[in-house]
Amino acid sequence: MCDACGCDLKPEHTHDSKVVEVHQSLLAANTAMAVKNREHIEKMGAVAINMISSPGSGKTTLLEKTIEAIGDTIRIGVIEGDIETDRDAERIRAKGVPVVQLTTGGACHLDAAQVHKGIHLLEKEEGGAELDILFIENVGNLVCPATFDLGEHHRLVLVSVPEGPDKPAKYPKAFHSSQVFIISKTDLLPYFDFPVEEAKAEALQLNPNLQVMALSATSGEGFDQWLDYLREVCRKRQ
Amino acid sequence: MHEMSLVQGLLAQLNELAREHGKEKVISVSMEIGPLSGVVIDSFQFGFDILAKDDALTREAKLIIESPPAIYRCFGCGREVEALQRPERCSECSETLFSPQGGDGLILRQVEME
Repeated sequence: MCDACGCDLKPEHTHDSKVVEVHQSLLAANTAMAVKNREHIEKMGAVAINMISSPGSGKTTLLEKTIEAIGDTIRIGVIEGDIETDRDAERIRAKGVPVVQLTTGGACHLDAAQVHKGIHLLEKEEGGAELDILFIENVGNLVCPATFDLGEHHRLVLVSVPEGPDKPAKYPKAFHSSQVFIISKTDLLPYFDFPVEEAKAEALQLNPNLQVMALSATSGEGFDQWLDYLREVCRKRQ
Repeated sequence: MHEMSLVQGLLAQLNELAREHGKEKVISVSMEIGPLSGVVIDSFQFGFDILAKDDALTREAKLIIESPPAIYRCFGCGREVEALQRPERCSECSETLFSPQGGDGLILRQVEME
């Protein structure tokens, strides 16, 4: 009997097995596509911001208010990622900027190939080929999107006050891979136990280079700092 | 659960490798999944167990996962420690800020086929 597999062939039978050294990241294909996306976005003259948060943290509302505030001086385009529906894209379209909705049909994150498709679709929209900032609103999920480079230049993670302050400790990858951390819905601070300074300190422990902002898109509190950040992002791009 | 789509990508790559080398069966797959990769090893294994069964090529394949620790560099004194989890504070200077190096690999190392 063969020692290798227990088959009934003669003892001298050998399995023609081969060990192939691969040493390649499982994300290699995604990363290669992300690099292409980044080059493409740069050729458009734009800078891309990937927004990651749980569902309901206020990504779309933040975008709506941002477009209202600076949409006439900074050319904004949006790629919306959702599992189903084009409701978010409709909300953005109502603000008069080019937008494309990507529906993942169940997948919990956007990947670089989907965004690549999204960029081409966006370019067909009026004004979609000439942008200053391309926002990519990822699927609402604080876990899976953190693993996939989409070709963005900046990654932004949002946590809203009702969600509680312990998100950085629970979802380290999202905070570790981001450049900006936004605490949203600060108008609700009187009603929730959300120690802002503790949450900031915890996030900075994970990623000392994070730029942290606390704001409310509803009351406008802290919004100037956010808009200054966006203007700075545009200025540095040139 | 993005582990499922990552396993799908892995299986597609295994199919390609088998075709390239003229093999019909994958015996073992060696992966490195770092503690900072954002991938839950149990979920990855679970996804592999389910999806690999659907394909004659991988039906009997064994998945071997190694998770090498990350290196945490102290912001205060520069001391480096190897750990699977972020240290609470530096044993040398009590600093609580660390910058992790490595540990984020999600790498297909080796495939044995016949």
